[in-house]
Amino acid sequence: MRFPPVLPLPAVLASLFVATGLSLVAASVLPSGLRGPAIAALSLTKAMLIVLGFMRLRRESPVLAGALIAYATVVCLLAGARIALAGLS
Amino acid sequence: MTVAVTNRSLDGAKPVPEAGMELLLWILVWSELIVFGVLLGAFLLLEWLDPVALAALRETLDLPLAGMATVVLVSSGFFAARAAFGRQPRGNLLAAALGGFIFCALKIAAFTHELPALAAMEGRLGELYMLIVGFHFAHVLFVSGLLLLVAFRPTPRHVAGVATIWHLIDLVWLLILPVVYLG
Repeated sequence: MRFPPVLPLPAVLASLFVATGLSLVAASVLPSGLRGPAIAALSLTKAMLIVLGFMRLRRESPVLAGALIAYATVVCLLAGARIALAGLS
Repeated sequence: MTVAVTNRSLDGAKPVPEAGMELLLWILVWSELIVFGVLLGAFLLLEWLDPVALAALRETLDLPLAGMATVVLVSSGFFAARAAFGRQPRGNLLAAALGGFIFCALKIAAFTHELPALAAMEGRLGELYMLIVGFHFAHVLFVSGLLLLVAFRPTPRHVAGVATIWHLIDLVWLLILPVVYLG
């Protein structure tokens, strides 16, 4: 049985590559105050692309998909806050 | 009458194996996420408490290699997703497993120059780093083997299950990256 993906898989993969490259660039060149929010946003984008693009959860169980994204949001926000605040101390 | 009651009883008690397996799968997924969540939380806390150890750890980590490992792992997730969506499951699962093994090779290459520096480090941050990354490495290695096993005789249910676990491993790595490498 074939299940068509909601988002085209090659587009999801290309977006993941771009977000990964941007994360590495942000980690190398941005000052910590900007680096924290940038890395948090890019990491959350990647997590959402995995859950919504690669997994079939969005259609089969929106609650589980939402819970996974909420989990990723908490970790990314904490990581972003830690990076941003490190520059202030 | 007795026969009728027995039949109704059997019908009523008919097991639903698919639903049971799915529940077990999600219990496994969330227990893994909780374990990694606790470890990453502890790492964030130690980073906050010990900036000197954090700076020493950052000097030992190989960011370009971690970037390459990320590209390999998400590519592998792409192939697992193709298999789960019913497109050439065998070939795509084999490609996903190959990606997993390449990821492991890249991590071993990173460990070879990280381990001596980490062994010389004081504090708990280096140990926690090895625990998180090593635990994830063990997951990648084990599930890559599972992908190979399922590729041998792919059924839709097994492909969907192993692909879900593989995406979980992808997701965990994408959360390890900002906490451990990108700060």
